Amino acid sequence: MAQMRVNPNRMELMKLRSRRQVAQRGHKLLKDKLDELMKEFLARIGESRTLRAEVERELFAAYGTVAVARGVAGRAALAAALASGNPEPIVSVAERNVMSVRIPEFTLAALPAPGGYSLVTTPIAFDSALAALAAVAPRLIVLAEKEKAIELLAAEIERTRRRVNALEHVLIPQLDETIRSIGMKLDEAERSNLTRLMKVKDMIEEQGR
Amino acid sequence: MSMRKVAIVGDATSVAGFRPLGFAVFPLAVPSAARGIWGELVGGEYAAVLVTEAVFEEIEDLIAAQADVPLPAVTVIPGAGSAGGVGQAKIDAAIERALGTKVFIREEDG
Repeated sequence: MAQMRVNPNRMELMKLRSRRQVAQRGHKLLKDKLDELMKEFLARIGESRTLRAEVERELFAAYGTVAVARGVAGRAALAAALASGNPEPIVSVAERNVMSVRIPEFTLAALPAPGGYSLVTTPIAFDSALAALAAVAPRLIVLAEKEKAIELLAAEIERTRRRVNALEHVLIPQLDETIRSIGMKLDEAERSNLTRLMKVKDMIEEQGR
Repeated sequence: MSMRKVAIVGDATSVAGFRPLGFAVFPLAVPSAARGIWGELVGGEYAAVLVTEAVFEEIEDLIAAQADVPLPAVTVIPGAGSAGGVGQAKIDAAIERALGTKVFIREEDG
């Protein structure tokens, strides 16, 4: 175990003792934080798993209706119908703080109404296709939000766990060892001092006789 | 509180349908073209960037670099022809790294 290089005197001993106390307290706090993060994390992963399975199913179904529309109306007509529409800022982003991890929260505003193509000249398959896509779109946003939260929490858990381990396995043992060794050196110095004094005392007594 | 857009990136067959809904669609001829537009996608204009599995496989390193950043949320979705499951695998990998074990990822079998 590596030791810290300090002067073996009482001042240093006091400093080291208080550092150790601080490290101990910090370690407990970080462990508590890790436990809370874990609880939050585990609660979310089951939920997101189910959501993803559902969303993938819905998405495949939506792709299916688009393929039908393409089959009915032809590739060019479909492409023309889908060319209408411009990117809009449709998601409102808020931030939430979970155990010091900032997680974004998305709220989908109302989607622009699918229009821009003539209702008369296009087959019903178009409308079903767009309806299916419009139904899955909000679910995709929710999925993105939930999975992002999981990613951010996972990163924070790793970070916190590394710090807990660093305190527990490196810093605190180092401090303990150094404290012990300084203590021993001080005791030794004390002992040799005592011995010297006793010797001097004996010498004086000897002379006195 | 801010309003941002949603981007969807992948082959035209999969993503074109989202344009009338106000999504910013990026139909790509080849998945690797995503690398060129990545800077724009993560620039801050988009709250969420949905990528198809094919695109994910091409730019996995770029996406991994975003894991720590709150926005945009990069999510993998199956494309029209793909099998699905890649997105879940990505999340599972993150979960395994965090927990140090695969145990909690199992489906609950009752």
